[in-house]
Amino acid sequence: MITFSNVSLIYPQSTHTVLEDLSFQIAEGEMVLVMGETGAGKSSLLRLVNGLVPHHTGGILAGDISVDGISTRTVKPGSLAHLVGIVGQNPINGFVTDIVEEELAFSMEALNFPPDVMRKRVEEVLDLLSLSALRNRSIATLSGGEQQRVAIGAAFVLHPKVLVLDEPTSALDPIAAEEVLSVLHRLVHDLSVTVIIAEHRLERVIQFVDRIIYIQGNGESSIGPADEILKSADLVPPIVRLARALNLRETGTSVREVRRQTEDIRNQEFIPAHVRKRHKDVAIDVKRISHSYGTKPALANVSTQINQGEIVAIMGRNGAGKSTLLHSIVGLHAPDSGEITVNGQDPTLLKGALRRKSIGYVPQEPSDLLFGTSVEEECAQADRDNQLATGSTMALLNRLVPHISHHAHPNDLSEGQRLALVLSIVLSGNPDVLVLDEPTRGLDYQAKSIFGAALKEYATQFERPVLLATHDVELVAELADRVLFLAEGEIVADGSTLDVLLSSPAFAPQVAKVMSPKPWLTVADVVDALGQEK
Amino acid sequence: MRTQGVFAFKGASLAALIATSSLSILGFIWPFLISEKQAHPQWIFLLAAPFALLLLFTSVSNNHLDSKSIALLAVLAALIAALRPMGTGAVGIEPMWFVLILAARVFGPSFGFLLGTISMFLSAILTGGLGPWVAYQSFAAGWIGLGVALIPRTLRGRYEIAALAFYGIISAEFFGIAMDLQFWPWTLGAETQLSYVAGAPIATNAAHFISYHFLSSMAWDIPRAIFTATLIVIVGKPVLHTLRRAYTRAAFLSPIEFIERAKASEVVR
Repeated sequence: MITFSNVSLIYPQSTHTVLEDLSFQIAEGEMVLVMGETGAGKSSLLRLVNGLVPHHTGGILAGDISVDGISTRTVKPGSLAHLVGIVGQNPINGFVTDIVEEELAFSMEALNFPPDVMRKRVEEVLDLLSLSALRNRSIATLSGGEQQRVAIGAAFVLHPKVLVLDEPTSALDPIAAEEVLSVLHRLVHDLSVTVIIAEHRLERVIQFVDRIIYIQGNGESSIGPADEILKSADLVPPIVRLARALNLRETGTSVREVRRQTEDIRNQEFIPAHVRKRHKDVAIDVKRISHSYGTKPALANVSTQINQGEIVAIMGRNGAGKSTLLHSIVGLHAPDSGEITVNGQDPTLLKGALRRKSIGYVPQEPSDLLFGTSVEEECAQADRDNQLATGSTMALLNRLVPHISHHAHPNDLSEGQRLALVLSIVLSGNPDVLVLDEPTRGLDYQAKSIFGAALKEYATQFERPVLLATHDVELVAELADRVLFLAEGEIVADGSTLDVLLSSPAFAPQVAKVMSPKPWLTVADVVDALGQEK
Repeated sequence: MRTQGVFAFKGASLAALIATSSLSILGFIWPFLISEKQAHPQWIFLLAAPFALLLLFTSVSNNHLDSKSIALLAVLAALIAALRPMGTGAVGIEPMWFVLILAARVFGPSFGFLLGTISMFLSAILTGGLGPWVAYQSFAAGWIGLGVALIPRTLRGRYEIAALAFYGIISAEFFGIAMDLQFWPWTLGAETQLSYVAGAPIATNAAHFISYHFLSSMAWDIPRAIFTATLIVIVGKPVLHTLRRAYTRAAFLSPIEFIERAKASEVVR
């Protein structure tokens, strides 16, 4: 279906090759994962498939790419629209209309399909992607997973032979991600659509894919069956790290496979690991707060206490009230009722320098905090604001991401680099409390571990609390001491990470699923327990 | 091979621009040219301008616009059209001209012309003020976009802002004159001292017009000029920066090369 022969790509005004000498063939009905570090060229590879690169972006392309026998040299991306459907990273950016049905019909409208065909196809797609209950809904009111399914439907309605998706699950909670992936699975298996998908959260997609294209940062790349590539790759999901740590014969890609191989380990008896000390002093005190948007309640009578030096993760479905709770705590809005104190102060009354010193907040969209025209300018501004020696913020940033370009515009940075920039600006103020909203979207495993280490250091070194809302169960397992689980604006579970994650099948990390009923969440937990026994 | 550039008039579309512009210039200045009072020759001009505009749009839309130019044009035109009614009520304060001028500066005069005509047309639809005058307003706004070409391309920094602010003043006044010219023959009765006298010598009519213009519309044009120039001075730098970044990001005229594998290593080195 898709043939890359000796493909290399160089962008204009750039000296290094993004891809070098890449050759592979993808057959009809295959599901292929493209993985690699942030900025390694995954998106470029995806957009080579329908010719957006180089026809829209410019660049030097060596070798040849053909899709269903058509070379992308000779045709413009528009002429491949019926053949290749593309779904971008953030589905909201791609929507043209307001209503689900209209969005599905839009691309057919543009290609001048007869009305009866459009009618029929819209019905087909609604059924195929289980969207019929949503057909008359406004797209803006849909949850993230539903929006992603509409975006896939809108791309699929032209009956393309190839679907290309860029990080389709990165903004979704585990359940919504599962929904999207099972839809893709159905398209591949029932309709022989070829699917190419780029994703950082390997643990979610790995069991669905047939093959992996692994792009290393240095232009090298390899392609092969999933378990073969994962054997030697640097970027691997927890389940593969577990297999490596335990020296298993085969690298399984699904929980089931690894579970079969680890039966003997699960059957051994271990002394329970020592419990980390509980923190005592209360830093954030939330007393019976409620908040609603119009008539829609977002938080109902929520009370909790966050202690000094504690890393607390807030989890829950999209729309469960996580962001609203964080907004209340940082003082973006006063709650309708109830009271919040942060180190004894009312967060809505904090102003200017005192606010920066009291609460560090990294919003869901980190670029909302960036106004400068270059990384350098942002860092210098942070130094001035916090009366630090020139270069302190930059030094912090360089520690987080060593290869950042100092002259780049903040909006041109990759998702991970931008987050690191915002984090170092916020940390340079040395705030008493750190609050982060969905911080690991678009981060690869390496960036995530650097990021986790920075947070841990902040929490332990200064004995200060970190509060983060996230869907990323693996991050929570590695990082958090305590988990608050929100549903419909109420706290439904509040306890140690171990208790909360183990008790919920959907939110359990991979290692816990493999090792259940043993109380281990991460590879390190397992290794520690085994080491203790010997 | 290169990616398509930002829209520019050339070939057939350039000919269409010149032809339709000349026709609509006639539409503005006919009062000075017509020799005697006739029944209704003016109507010909009044109706010719919309048709000229239509002709121009069709010639441009024939494969001269690629998707990136269309997207840019659509976003900026929507922005300008939305900004225009924000100032109504206050005299002549229309916060749209500075965007048009700055965008034309960055994306080139041809693009500026299209942006001016389209956004004026669009804002007329938004405000419901559709009529024959829309074509005149559109052309006048288009010419303002086109006229940005008068500022040297190499100018940067403070001088660029100063030149653009000055251009803002000139263009605000130009727009005032153009609109007055278009209304003048119709609004006053035949018998006042400022009225248009069909068939009178150019000097008489010009004197009448200038007095009319100063009396009736300086209240609109001076605030418009001051407002536009002030906005350019205040927000010019960041807006230019943002637009130039968009220009770079859109990768207009980036080279596309397809080469054989054997040569790739040479290119890299």
